[in-house]
Amino acid sequence: MSFIYLAVPLAAVVLSFLIKNRKAIYGVVILSSLITMLLTLWLTYVNVSGGGNGLVLTMGILYIDSFSIIVLDIITILGFFIHIYSAGYIERDYISGKIDEKQVKLYFILMNAFVFTMLVSVSVKNVGILWVAIEATTLASVFLVGFYNKRESLEAAWKYIIICSVGIALAFLGIVFLHLSSTGVIASPSQVLNFTDLTVLAKGLDSSVLKFAFIFILLGFGTKVGLAPMHTWLPAAHSQAPSPVSAMLSGVLLNSAMYGIIRTMTIVNVNLGSNVFTGRLMIFFGLLSIAIAAIVILTQKDYKSLLAYSSIEHMGVIALAAGFFTPASLFAALLHMINHSFTKSMLFLSTGNILQKYHTTNISRIKGILKVLPVSGTVFIVGLLAIAGTPPFGIFSCEWNILTAVFSGKHYIIGSVTAVLLAVVFAGIVHCVFKMFFGEPPSEVESGEDRIAGTAVIVVLLIIVAALGLFMPDAAINLLNNAQAIISGGVC
Amino acid sequence: MTTYMDIISIFILITSFALVASKKITSYIKAFRIQSALLAMALAVMGYFHFVESGRIDTLVLCALIIALKVVYFPKLLNKTYDRVEHKVEKDFFMNIPMLILLCSGIVIFVYFIISGIGSFGNEDVTMQVVNMVSVVLIGVFFMITRKKAIGQIVGFLVVENGIFGAVMFGAEGMPLIVDIGIFIDLITGILIMGLMVFKINDLFDSINTNKLRRLKG
Amino acid sequence: MGYIIIQLVLMVGLAPLINGIIKKVKAFSQKRKGAPILQMYYDIGKLLKKEMVVSETSSWIYKAAPYVVFGSTAAAALLVPAVTNAGGLNAAFSGGDVLVLLYTLALGRFFLMLAGLDTGSTFGGMGSSREGMISSLMEPSILIGLFTLGLASGSLSIKMIMSESLSKVCPIADPVYIIIFFVLVIVLLAETCRIPVDDPATHLELTMVHEAMILEYSGRQLALMELAAAVKQLILMTLIVNIFFPITAVLPAGVPGVAIMIILYIVRIVLLAVVIGVVEVCIVKLRFFSIPNLAALSFILAIIGFVNYFVIGR
Repeated sequence: MSFIYLAVPLAAVVLSFLIKNRKAIYGVVILSSLITMLLTLWLTYVNVSGGGNGLVLTMGILYIDSFSIIVLDIITILGFFIHIYSAGYIERDYISGKIDEKQVKLYFILMNAFVFTMLVSVSVKNVGILWVAIEATTLASVFLVGFYNKRESLEAAWKYIIICSVGIALAFLGIVFLHLSSTGVIASPSQVLNFTDLTVLAKGLDSSVLKFAFIFILLGFGTKVGLAPMHTWLPAAHSQAPSPVSAMLSGVLLNSAMYGIIRTMTIVNVNLGSNVFTGRLMIFFGLLSIAIAAIVILTQKDYKSLLAYSSIEHMGVIALAAGFFTPASLFAALLHMINHSFTKSMLFLSTGNILQKYHTTNISRIKGILKVLPVSGTVFIVGLLAIAGTPPFGIFSCEWNILTAVFSGKHYIIGSVTAVLLAVVFAGIVHCVFKMFFGEPPSEVESGEDRIAGTAVIVVLLIIVAALGLFMPDAAINLLNNAQAIISGGVC
Repeated sequence: MTTYMDIISIFILITSFALVASKKITSYIKAFRIQSALLAMALAVMGYFHFVESGRIDTLVLCALIIALKVVYFPKLLNKTYDRVEHKVEKDFFMNIPMLILLCSGIVIFVYFIISGIGSFGNEDVTMQVVNMVSVVLIGVFFMITRKKAIGQIVGFLVVENGIFGAVMFGAEGMPLIVDIGIFIDLITGILIMGLMVFKINDLFDSINTNKLRRLKG
Repeated sequence: MGYIIIQLVLMVGLAPLINGIIKKVKAFSQKRKGAPILQMYYDIGKLLKKEMVVSETSSWIYKAAPYVVFGSTAAAALLVPAVTNAGGLNAAFSGGDVLVLLYTLALGRFFLMLAGLDTGSTFGGMGSSREGMISSLMEPSILIGLFTLGLASGSLSIKMIMSESLSKVCPIADPVYIIIFFVLVIVLLAETCRIPVDDPATHLELTMVHEAMILEYSGRQLALMELAAAVKQLILMTLIVNIFFPITAVLPAGVPGVAIMIILYIVRIVLLAVVIGVVEVCIVKLRFFSIPNLAALSFILAIIGFVNYFVIGR
């Protein structure tokens, strides 16, 4: 029964297909996302109060432990906020005649299917099904990326589906090798490709095949995560999708793919007895992503692409931290995942408000946001400071923790390179974006916040982000510690 | 049995070369169809043995799925798409064909060295088949890079999928059935979506050359 | 000595017959009666009686070429044992090396090309340049293909390669052998100027290759040139037949065994000739500039065979 939350988005898909009334669809999807969120929060409560290493729930191939719970919570909480925001955003597009009734329906059907696939991807223990779910996320979201049917959005969607499908296909090759490495070790057919069983049996797997498998899985899921140099779809898709979809892609989807990488990394590390092999790869791709994002951000002309590159940078940071594989760095990586998701979703949602006012994503054509949109503008500017890594927000403390972990592991060169690159990113964001906020707004833009609900959502998110940076409840620390222990391979 | 599988795997590799070497869209769709038929042949024999030995029918089910989808349905769908969108014949590749083929032979050698470097797969018999299938995967990716037409990229993706599927069947005699079914559902949806997008691209850009998709950079 | 005589008689005597069979198969496919199977013997006999016309501008190369071409081809014919399974017949013969075979044939081709250039006619030069291009395109694939077989048998000697396949139950079922088989078939078609590369039946100036080079010859010299081409074709066919379709049955020693082997050899060669005729009927001639694609195909097949040999070999 614990897995009932999987059924809710599916029900929402069916209902939004059946219901004719536009307003009723809004109600249904918001209600369903609320129910999903409450169910997972209840699961979190059960998990945390389970004591010890947190409760592990299994049913057939479905599986949840503390690590899954973290990603699951990110998906459902942000899913709830994004659905509230979407209702207002889509309604406004509908009123302004950009889209018709059928597209409204399509939007919510696909959005809920998207949420469903992501939920599946983090609540199974079979790596094969995990792969199927992650591939399905691409398929569910590709029409959301190309939602406006313009040339640019179609181009972005084509890039997205082709690059991600191929990348994911390579990941599947990796999974095949994972399977091959376990032939002879697996006792019963039901254990095939289960990461829980594979972690227990990890010592017996064939190391050389496993290494090969990890390279392919890292390349494949890394495409989906947006690690450089496989990141090229990401800025295109994030900048062309409707803002709530961008928030979903950037804040939520990337984590599910990262989840897949980290799960396999555990198996490989337990098998090899050290993190040297996986660590080198992860740190290499992580650093490369940070570096490429830093360079591009400096000269960025489009504020949504800028946020997309910032996602690449943060995914790089998470990969780097996970690569070091010490308890401290894993803890920081998980915390960073949470912080980045909330902050980035908030930012993308506020760009939605800006975009609907100015009708452009070009930085140089936007002036005086603070005058036009006092609330969203403030949230946006504070959010940018947060994402760039300013204290007291959570991102800062995570990056600080990660760098501390790196330096205390005596990796001085990597640590200092990362620090310099993070500083470049900070400078780039400030340099590019801050001129948007001041000055006189263009005359044709009328000032004033339009959508109360949408603005309220981003303000609530801002409060959450600020709170995350300032204090952590013991329960959350427990949860993160448990997840960290699971990733380290101790318990399952 | 092993020899039969070896030969089929070699033929699958050769069809992927035929794919790279073909100039027209219809001919590479045909090459893809032959490749899928070969894969189905391998599966049919394997499925027969599974059935006789342990009464498993899942391999035969997969074989039927492959014939229905990859041998019959997808080529038909692609041909239909091609008929509806293509108005003029254009050069579809960036390099000349012997060059492409030589690069692909480099890929095969590269894969061989990589895989021989990782030692055994527990079962010596399958090494050759795995080498061939991984080569097919990489050749498929290479094919996608070198073609300009959107349909070519779809065919390339299907070939990548064929190679991976071949690696699963030859190397591991199949995944759990639920995974296989999931893969097929994903594949069908993916191809349908891509086919639909080819129409949209054709509508908006008056061409299915993907090198016209270059507005978004940086 | 017995080996040399039998081998030479068999190769040179049989070669025109093969041409006749291929032509007959093609004639059948076109619902024609066609020339008699032995037509080429009559042609050669007739040409040998006729006088020669030699161009005034030609040098000694022109006159020497037919003898060099025929001589080198006949020498090459000695390197490829036709009768492999008859105990004792060719035991004394250590067998030619793959490289010796290829470059003996190349010597003949070299003189053929020179002779085409020598008279200074347009067609001759064109034919020579095309022949040069085709042979240089085909050389890598035949080399790699035969080397792979050499690796499989542990020796580059043609005789050892053939006895390696004698020791297998069914060599054509071996994945590496099946690949190399296709390589050799493509090489056979290209080297003997058969259809996807050249059309031996026409004298259409734009397409011909081999015919263009020997266009100036007449009489005895033409007979030698034609015969050399036929023998070369038989050499390649013998390679294919004995490597991929060996007769592994144990035969009685002595004369009866040899006789049976010779008959079986002729039967297999005739069957292969029929197959080649059918293949030629089924495919169309390639544009000349598409020939690199064909060469690339045979090359890649050879490479795949080579790589796959290593995979199995471990």
